[in-house]
Amino acid sequence: MRILLVLLFSLTLLFSADATIEVTKRVDGLSSMAVEDASVDYKDGLSKRFFKALVGDLNVLSLFNVKDEYTTTYFDDDNVDRSNKKSDYVLRYSLEKDDSGVFIVHAKMLSDDSTVFSKKYRLRNSEQYIFIVHAIAYDVNAYMGADPVDWMKRKVILTRLVAPQKSEILLTDYTLSYQRVIIRGGLNVFPKWADKKQSSFYFTDLDGRIPTLYKMDIYTGKSEKITSSDGMLICSDVRQDGKKLLLTMAPNGQPDIYLYDIENKKRQRLTKYGGIDVNAQFMSDDRITFVSNRLGYPNVFAKKIGSKAVEQMVYYGKSNAACSAHGDLIVYKARESANAFSRNTFNLHLISTKTDFIRRLTATGVNEFPRFSKDGDAILFIKSYKQQSSIGVVRLKHNKNFLFPLKIGKIQSMDW
Amino acid sequence: MKSIFLSSALIALLALSGCSTKEPAIDTTDDSAKMAATDTLTETIPEDVMTVDADGFSGADSNEMTMSGIERKMQSVTFDFDRFEIRPDMQENVEGNIKLVNSDAQDYTIKLEGNCDEWGSDEYNYALGLKRANSVKTEMIQSGVDAGRITMVSYGESNPVCTDKTDACWSENRRVDFKLLP
Repeated sequence: MRILLVLLFSLTLLFSADATIEVTKRVDGLSSMAVEDASVDYKDGLSKRFFKALVGDLNVLSLFNVKDEYTTTYFDDDNVDRSNKKSDYVLRYSLEKDDSGVFIVHAKMLSDDSTVFSKKYRLRNSEQYIFIVHAIAYDVNAYMGADPVDWMKRKVILTRLVAPQKSEILLTDYTLSYQRVIIRGGLNVFPKWADKKQSSFYFTDLDGRIPTLYKMDIYTGKSEKITSSDGMLICSDVRQDGKKLLLTMAPNGQPDIYLYDIENKKRQRLTKYGGIDVNAQFMSDDRITFVSNRLGYPNVFAKKIGSKAVEQMVYYGKSNAACSAHGDLIVYKARESANAFSRNTFNLHLISTKTDFIRRLTATGVNEFPRFSKDGDAILFIKSYKQQSSIGVVRLKHNKNFLFPLKIGKIQSMDW
Repeated sequence: MKSIFLSSALIALLALSGCSTKEPAIDTTDDSAKMAATDTLTETIPEDVMTVDADGFSGADSNEMTMSGIERKMQSVTFDFDRFEIRPDMQENVEGNIKLVNSDAQDYTIKLEGNCDEWGSDEYNYALGLKRANSVKTEMIQSGVDAGRITMVSYGESNPVCTDKTDACWSENRRVDFKLLP
């Protein structure tokens, strides 16, 4: 099974307005859920992979205690499997192939032997079944009235390093179950979605004479050059309306943050410190957070666009080299130990700009490249542990972490 | 080179794009008696996404062979962890390279490639690699090399010369390489 749910830190968190505060409650307060396979076709293994993926997604929802025993039944059977009689909910699915070869999934949820939710999903290519799994989980979550999990259906774009100076840009889902190479060969890094529809993305090409930023349409493969800069050039963030970019550029060998206007192609230098200023993120349309070594070590700062004043945001950790912002929340990467090469070195922490609380989100390995979901419900990050590169998901309100390992290569960067 | 790759990719894509429908969708139909409204979920699936090959250019002419011969004579400059100042023990390498830049390599542009160890894939690591390259560039300019002959790039952690999990290996990767451009 491609999806490996590895880590559940603690079990629950009472819903709270401040995501930096952890409050736990008993896991047995969750409803029980069983999954039944009623497939007519695709019994060659896909129906079981579908089962495991669905159980995985239901676990990520963090709304149920999900049974992982595989059971089969008939889709229209009025009764659930005998072993599932005690479950509060039963989610039943059936995979079928219609006369034209279209992949069809029927799904329904039962409670007390009554159907409470039912839906039919169609897809031309069964290889992308994972997106239907995510859609079912999304719909179950919505039926239960829980906070939206739109992030679950979003596409993830990532750079995988396959050899020195060689990379691939992959299109995948948050579990890495579906993988499609978009750009093979060369060294192309830091992909960043360009629009809400996720139909195009920015990336940095490091193969040319100087680093160059391109925008590529994933459906046509057409690329257009945006700008270039000696030294380094990275698209750190895209404003919500897609019209302005925060870039790290170094036209004079000095890495600084620039605001780039897509329409008039003009850039505005936002930082002028002589050291390192990188990784800018929009906190709002006129305020950014970024990483700077202006105190002698990398740390997280914020400033208003157009203002010279800079505010230190983080007071914990001596090497906080990456961050992501969502409103008042900032997640950052901190080196925990004084020894640069000790194990268990880099962890993610969450702070609120309105409180003094700090919440550590990870405990082992090297955890970096945090990225908030658009709604702030979850954080995606890259974890390296024992030479395994994984995508991690933190469900903030549920205080749960999930890991999805990449089988080949090392994840360099990603966006979702 | 990039434009050739993009042009060829575009032509290939235009040729292929007519073969399939773009933006396939998950069609969902709510057939629950208890749910009054039909909830049509349209999911954009990357079914028809094309793969672009960024490689495909190889072969070396005599000029490139000359360049690689000079590059082999140039020594990498290594750095301490999280630092970008040139260490005293690396001064000899820098000066030796500058001599080559002003003699054998005087007809070429110098590309300084900044690199880091594997501890971090974030932007800060790339900036650190760039600052290392910039330290070397500053020293070269002070030694009389024309700034217009020097370009820089940072590869962050993506261009290791050693992949062992040892201090010595990590130290080897924290470096600036000298490359030549026509």
